Amino acid sequence: MVQYNFKKITVVPPGKDFIDIILSRTQRQTPTVVHKGYAISRLRQFYMRKVKYTQQNFHEKLSTIIEEFPRLDDIHPFYGDLLHVLYNKDHYKLALGQVNTARNLISKIAKDYVKLLKYGDSLYRCKSLKVAALGRMCTVIKRIGPSLAYLEQIRQHMARLPSIDPNTRTVLICGYPNVGKSSFINKITRADVDVQPYAFTTKSLFVGHTDYKYLRYQVIDTPGILDRPFEDRNIIEMCSITALAHLRAAVLFFLDVSGSCGYSIAQQAALFHSIKSLFMNKPLIIVCNKTDLQPLEGISEEDMKLVMEMKAEAMKTVLGQGGEPTNDEGVLLTMSTLTEDGVIAVKNAACERLLNQRVEIKMKSKKINDCLNRFHVALPKPRDQKERPPCIPQAVMEARAKEAAEKEKRKTEKDIENENGGAGVYSASLKKHYILSNEEWKEDIMPEILDGHNVADFIDPDILLRLEELEREEGLRQAVEEDDDFEMDGKELTSEEQEALAEIRKKKSLLIQQHRIKKSTAESRPIVPRKFDKNKEFTTKRMGRQLSVLGLDPSLAINRARSRSLSRKGRKRERSPAYDGGDAMDVDVDTPKKKLRARSRSLSLSRSRSRPPSEVTPGEGFKDSAQKVKAIKLGKKSVKMRNKDARNGRGSNNDVLQSSRQLPKFARSYGGSSSIRFFIRRFMVAASKEAGNAFWSDKFTFTSFSLPGYMLFWQF
Amino acid sequence: MRLEKCWFCSSTIYPGHGIQFVRNDAKIFRFCRSKCHKNFKMKRNPRKVKWTKAYRRLHGKDMTQDSTFEFERKRNRPERYDRNLAENTLKAIKKIDKVRVDREARHHALRMKGKKAKEQKEAQKELEQHIHLLKAPAVLQEDPSLTLPKIKVKVSQQQSEENQAMEE
Repeated sequence: MVQYNFKKITVVPPGKDFIDIILSRTQRQTPTVVHKGYAISRLRQFYMRKVKYTQQNFHEKLSTIIEEFPRLDDIHPFYGDLLHVLYNKDHYKLALGQVNTARNLISKIAKDYVKLLKYGDSLYRCKSLKVAALGRMCTVIKRIGPSLAYLEQIRQHMARLPSIDPNTRTVLICGYPNVGKSSFINKITRADVDVQPYAFTTKSLFVGHTDYKYLRYQVIDTPGILDRPFEDRNIIEMCSITALAHLRAAVLFFLDVSGSCGYSIAQQAALFHSIKSLFMNKPLIIVCNKTDLQPLEGISEEDMKLVMEMKAEAMKTVLGQGGEPTNDEGVLLTMSTLTEDGVIAVKNAACERLLNQRVEIKMKSKKINDCLNRFHVALPKPRDQKERPPCIPQAVMEARAKEAAEKEKRKTEKDIENENGGAGVYSASLKKHYILSNEEWKEDIMPEILDGHNVADFIDPDILLRLEELEREEGLRQAVEEDDDFEMDGKELTSEEQEALAEIRKKKSLLIQQHRIKKSTAESRPIVPRKFDKNKEFTTKRMGRQLSVLGLDPSLAINRARSRSLSRKGRKRERSPAYDGGDAMDVDVDTPKKKLRARSRSLSLSRSRSRPPSEVTPGEGFKDSAQKVKAIKLGKKSVKMRNKDARNGRGSNNDVLQSSRQLPKFARSYGGSSSIRFFIRRFMVAASKEAGNAFWSDKFTFTSFSLPGYMLFWQF
Repeated sequence: MRLEKCWFCSSTIYPGHGIQFVRNDAKIFRFCRSKCHKNFKMKRNPRKVKWTKAYRRLHGKDMTQDSTFEFERKRNRPERYDRNLAENTLKAIKKIDKVRVDREARHHALRMKGKKAKEQKEAQKELEQHIHLLKAPAVLQEDPSLTLPKIKVKVSQQQSEENQAMEE
């Protein structure tokens, strides 16, 4: 039995992709390098190879398409007709024909161009010949593009066709739309066909499989058929007609006796009579569905007559098969797919009749004779007339009876669920079968967590006893505790003392803070001795304040400090001209107080003014003002050039200017364009440009190159 | 639903909080919050981290051994439900809690027992030793009370300045 499987057809690429695939393959799989200096035969061979290779690939791919698509005449007429119904036979053949012609055309093109290439005399000529050949082949494919697209669509649809074996045991279901065919197939097989209230829910054939007497049967669900003349039928109906026509199957004609499909029994009977020609030689069973809505006995007289007519027709088929003429049980059956009443009976009847028919046919055919002599049913000959029924022990019989009775009586949880509203509505009580000492406790909810503890950790049968013990212990301990409760307070501090203590602590923390600051800055700042305090931190005022805070009288100390101060004693003699000329000091203790005071005052006054920059204050570290002036000069000189160039410094991103003309005039510190400095500068610019490029391309570090350049530069 | 203990700080982990880490040897570490989790990832020993219960218990800051801890024990075999037992257990939990809290308070008080006296002694000593920061010893001799001296007005220096101004 050939299993018709259309899933194995290779994908048909669309025209453009086809071309791309082949051309890229040619480019990859053939040598690509060619020079015009090669020998002419080599050049010709190179291009001929490409042309032939492309042609071969096209040929291969097109041949696979042609071979893999089924030829409608060669396959089973059922599939042939089905494919014709679904996709027009002519169209299909045309498309395949086009592919075939394309293949031949390409072969011809390749042959011609290879012949021409044999006489190509230059690289350019051979190349253009090859280009022309490939171009023509691609045009051919482009022209059959629509056919390829059509074939691809067909392939996709064919892959999804149900795999129906036309030769095996098949049961076919037909009838008007909405009569219950799909529900029936859902019930007896594992197929999951859409069941909906609108007509033509099923739009194509569906296959399910079911078992009967250890044999597998195909059950085919068809779309509904309307009563129309043959020519007016649409594709969907034609599918079912095709199936009816070609498959040797048992036919179940479905009848909706309740009329809820929207068609009356008369209409359905009319349909029956119009397609009864298709039921030739097929075991036919008329199935009356939806008997839960309308039992068969309850229909009207005319309808009953029609049904009987149909039954008569069906009987004819029975007769025709040589079955018992009087057996009309298997011809007209009632069922309801909703209540599942009679569904199995219908299936069994259909399968039985089909089986019988097939066996009959096999028996009649020649093939059976070959195997018939291999079959032999052995029946033992009865020895005497004694009856020997099968022997079943009494206990087993009783148990069986009891089981049967129990099965009837016991109510399962599922039954209870169904009673109370079904799965979504009723939730079974899991606590029903708990075994507890007291039945009332079954529905109790026990807390699991209390006050940050797990209650389950505390559960203990003798928890009460232990709790009592604990409480007793606690009571004892409390009694003991009360005796030695208070402590000796000792001496408390008075408020005055507390204040003083707070002050002490504040002062201490201040001292510690200051010390910490001093410690952290000690390394970075030089310690200036007290006699050179520039910021005037150590004054007598301050000393006076500090001493009076402690409660001492500072006046004596202040006077003493003042008498020993430098201003009174006078500073060391200086030979610097930058100083106030007339005030060259000559220390003389005996000068009158007035003059001293005046001088001291003018000096002290002058001290409070801002000093000239060259004047050296004692704490600065210069020997004299000349040294200081020189130091300042040196410092300025070192930043002069950089400031002129308005740059940030040596280490920054020095993108050297392209030419000195880009600099503003004042920043140019070197001579005219003919000067040697300018020449060197140009060289530097060029070199650093290169360095700039090299920076990114090599492991050339910018600084390592430019540094010597700059060093050179600075020399000028 | 079970309340777990954080492996690092030993606080209770309520449902919906924290992270559980399962090691390759199938040991489960539960953490109450990311602080504990991060400390664990840093491989810190909870016995050395001051704010954890493990540290406190180890260093005697919190009560370690007590009969109230015996009541709460993880039992692996469930008991059959008994309403009376459940009721009693719930009441007992509350009482046990109270007792435990009392005992912990007592432990804490015991620990802090001598603190006041010590503090007072220290304060006295400090006052005696460092009073020189506030009041010069000479002044202290004259006036042994602890009244702090106020800052006095500047002495004759200014007066002499004024005199000079007037003079010149």
